[in-house]
Amino acid sequence: MKTTEEILTLAREIAGAWDWTTEVTQPEPNRLDVLLRNPADLVAIVTALRVKRLGYLAAITGLDLGAGELEALYHFCAGEVVITLRVRLNGRETAVASLSELIPSAEPFERELREMYGVNIIGLPSPDYLYLPDDWPAGVYPMRQDFDPQVLSRKT
Amino acid sequence: MQTDTQRERFTIPIGPQHPALKEPGHFRFSVDGEIVTGATVRLGYAHRGLEKLAEKQNWVQNIYLFERVCGICSHTHATAYCLGVERLAGVIAPPRAQAIRTLVCELERIHSHLLWLGVSAHEAGFDTLFMYSWRDRETVMDLLEALTGNRVNYSVNVLGGVKVDVTEEIAQAIYKGLDFLEERTHHYLQVVSSDASFLQRARGVGVMTRQQAEVMGVVGPTARASGVTRDIRIEAPYAAYADFPPQVIVDERGDLEARFVVRLKELLESYRLVREILARLPEGELTVRMPRRIKSGETVSRVEAPRGELFYFLKSNGTDTPVRVHARTPTICNMTSVVRLAVGHQLADVPLILAGIDPCFSCNDR
Repeated sequence: MKTTEEILTLAREIAGAWDWTTEVTQPEPNRLDVLLRNPADLVAIVTALRVKRLGYLAAITGLDLGAGELEALYHFCAGEVVITLRVRLNGRETAVASLSELIPSAEPFERELREMYGVNIIGLPSPDYLYLPDDWPAGVYPMRQDFDPQVLSRKT
Repeated sequence: MQTDTQRERFTIPIGPQHPALKEPGHFRFSVDGEIVTGATVRLGYAHRGLEKLAEKQNWVQNIYLFERVCGICSHTHATAYCLGVERLAGVIAPPRAQAIRTLVCELERIHSHLLWLGVSAHEAGFDTLFMYSWRDRETVMDLLEALTGNRVNYSVNVLGGVKVDVTEEIAQAIYKGLDFLEERTHHYLQVVSSDASFLQRARGVGVMTRQQAEVMGVVGPTARASGVTRDIRIEAPYAAYADFPPQVIVDERGDLEARFVVRLKELLESYRLVREILARLPEGELTVRMPRRIKSGETVSRVEAPRGELFYFLKSNGTDTPVRVHARTPTICNMTSVVRLAVGHQLADVPLILAGIDPCFSCNDR
């Protein structure tokens, strides 16, 4: 078992490596926040965490920042430490690569992110909805800020 | 969440109405004769949009909202939420409040594990064990009612503390109830590891190795029954768990029998913890003052629910309503293992494999 300090140091080393540009902050003593400048670095940085056996993927949180900007937060937990990789997706078109090949347990989290926020996740094996019903209107994402429940009662 | 080992021959839909358990979920199993060759799952039949609703309610109203994510582990949800909000506000609940939270967490674990024991015994065709374990569960339900006023949704937590106190009279009732339950649990432990017909349903069935458990990301007793020593109560102690540390119960075997043994041994550990908390309950206030507006920021709150790690992400913008409350419940992590473990098993084993993870559809749908 690594100590909290060792985990934080190791995570800082990985986040600050030359291969990617990140912005690292420590909002709480047990949390490390890593903002990825380029969403394409996600798989490489997660691979680096896996190689060092640093934590497990605990959750993926979607956030709608407003003005068409979405954010996906990948929380990795190791002991009491939570390392959060933040991927900012500007514009509605942006896509992010799936982690499910690397981490099979990511699949349900990614499917939820896709259904609820409309983040296009490339390489996700199943095209079906996990939570939403089959007749859910296309292009309507319930967790986005501009979601209007009225669209559900309108007959098309 | 899909597994297909060979070409589909025949597909059997199970659910969405009550697939084994009294909660909705939809499974499709492709079978070759009696053997399962692939499985998919569809959820969302109990989706209530609680995370969306949380963005419209204030911080206090949300306690009651998130307590209703789940009818079995309501207190763990409220505890995770309250601890997170208190951390955002920079407030720490008094020691007596933290100890009472921990006490109710453990009483809830006792009722949840006994409930699970009954459900799983029923799925294994052992209805006598089901009836007895649910009769015994009433003991802890009565204790929870005496302590909090409710059998479910106890509403113990408020922001900044708790609203119920433990009197000497209730403490004595809890001691008495636990003595009875402890004796019964020892008996059940003996039954599940010796009854011949039960063992045919459980021993060597649904085996998940430690490596598989880690790859599939399972949590809680399901993971601990496969030798993964992970328990949030010890890894990242919350509430009063730093003062009252539990022992991690691990079993290396990874089959259904191990999942029974781990949960029953966890019951014994919970009885010990509850007694210890009652014996050393700190004196003092039950609440501290909380601001109505919560400082802007983000935080993560993790607790060990009866089913495993419960993960809350909270974001505030400095107002009296949250920007985002995200609850990742343990069942969603464990559900992947059902569709994978089912492959290669008899279709008749599937209900017990599903029940083995102690699924809560209401939790994973939110």
